[in-house]
Amino acid sequence: MQYMNIRYGVPFRIPRRLGDRFKEIVSIKGVNYIRGSGFIVENKEALDSMNKILVKMGLILKPTITCYICGSEINCDECPYNKSCHKAVTHCICKVCFTKTNLVKEYMDKQKREINLIISK
Amino acid sequence: MLWTEKYRPRNVEDVIGNEEAKKQVIKWLVEWLRGNKDYPGVLLAGPPGIGKTSFVYALANQFNLHVIELNASDVRTAQQIYSKVGSLGRTTTLDSFTGNKQRKNILIFFDEVDGIDPKADSGGLKAILEIANKREAPIIAAANFPDPIKHKELINTFKYIVFRPLTPKQIIILLKRIVRNEGITISDENLSNIATKVNGDARLAVNLLQEASLGLDIDITLTPMENLPFEELIKRLSTSYSIIEIKNLLNSNSNYLEDVFYTYFDLITRSNNIPFEDKVRLLEYSTKLNELFGKMNKKRSFYLFRYITTMLPWFIYSANRAGVVYDGRIPGYRFKLFIQNRKFREHLNQIYQEKLKFFMHESYRKFISETLPTLRYININDEILTELFQKVL
Repeated sequence: MQYMNIRYGVPFRIPRRLGDRFKEIVSIKGVNYIRGSGFIVENKEALDSMNKILVKMGLILKPTITCYICGSEINCDECPYNKSCHKAVTHCICKVCFTKTNLVKEYMDKQKREINLIISK
Repeated sequence: MLWTEKYRPRNVEDVIGNEEAKKQVIKWLVEWLRGNKDYPGVLLAGPPGIGKTSFVYALANQFNLHVIELNASDVRTAQQIYSKVGSLGRTTTLDSFTGNKQRKNILIFFDEVDGIDPKADSGGLKAILEIANKREAPIIAAANFPDPIKHKELINTFKYIVFRPLTPKQIIILLKRIVRNEGITISDENLSNIATKVNGDARLAVNLLQEASLGLDIDITLTPMENLPFEELIKRLSTSYSIIEIKNLLNSNSNYLEDVFYTYFDLITRSNNIPFEDKVRLLEYSTKLNELFGKMNKKRSFYLFRYITTMLPWFIYSANRAGVVYDGRIPGYRFKLFIQNRKFREHLNQIYQEKLKFFMHESYRKFISETLPTLRYININDEILTELFQKVL
């Protein structure tokens, strides 16, 4: 079985020939196919339905969520807000960064740095 | 002043959440301004209250662009769209608003673009695509729930970017920033309470924080508001004495606005405990709202919707203050006709068209919304009407 990391809302390509299964996948609510970019999965329910089809082809999609401030991978099972969160995001805040006193400032600074990086490229 | 306006982000870094989506939009805009116009525009999709519109304005501010906003609730036909932005592409505007007389490039923003129906709104979507394909000015469209079939062309032509509701932790960052700027004291427990109950809706979270800062018991308001059953919605509305809560309830259940209005109209007419002057005032208010609903439905004048969404919460608020009480009874005819039984509605229409139309001399719509509710107070021996009343009232 091959695992592939994806991010919610970010286009990705499936490294398999889908054939007839393509139609099945794009008919799932919450899955979009953009020509030239690939598939976009919007939520966990859609990802589960997609995995049910892909598992027959030996592929499982795994969502990854990283900390926006420090970049570490986040394990949602340890989060106190696990039950009330939709989890369909690309970034969140890890346990360590969330306890920082200057959390708001660090978040803003990180955004500023990323934006400047895009503009200056 | 509402905090949702006071703390509307001015710069892109002030917008919390959706980091990856924001990066994609910025990259597209940077490339566009450099002359690489791969995509004619960007389509932002996501539920209300998560910062799509705020982000577009913050982005324009950051890149010194002047936003020309068109909202699908006002401008929806091809003719209206061309008259507003058809020739704007290559122009610049003079920024007299801020006082610095500086020429600015334009960013065209189509908000709530999913409100445009490709068939009913005579070429509205086609016009947007045509303007976008000229690639004269950057275009950003925002939609709550774009339909993969109806808006297929738009989704495939524009760069499609999904905005997601915020996580509770992101909501807490947003709230902490406001708490710090306002200099108020709200416990972390209360912030967590708000963050976990709003389903990622940043606007609702800020509204609740403002209520909490006024000392209101936020536990009452902190229950799910979206997609409530109709009776539950009326119950919640009638027990609310906060205009913000009423507005939020109506915004989250906007498919029921007309039914809420008629139910309240019925409650006012049935309430015997409110002073006569208040009753007259409320009925006058309801007449104005009734006119607006009528005009909007008849001519598809959806620009009137904004007046309805402003007036209806105040109407309900005034009625609650005047002492209107929900007695647990939704007007039966309203409930059966509009909410519960679609099949029965068809049956009633058939009876009307075959048997009643010839001596009523009015439209079916007028019959069920005005005549029928009035007739129920009168004793009528007519066979057909008696049968009708037994079923409906």
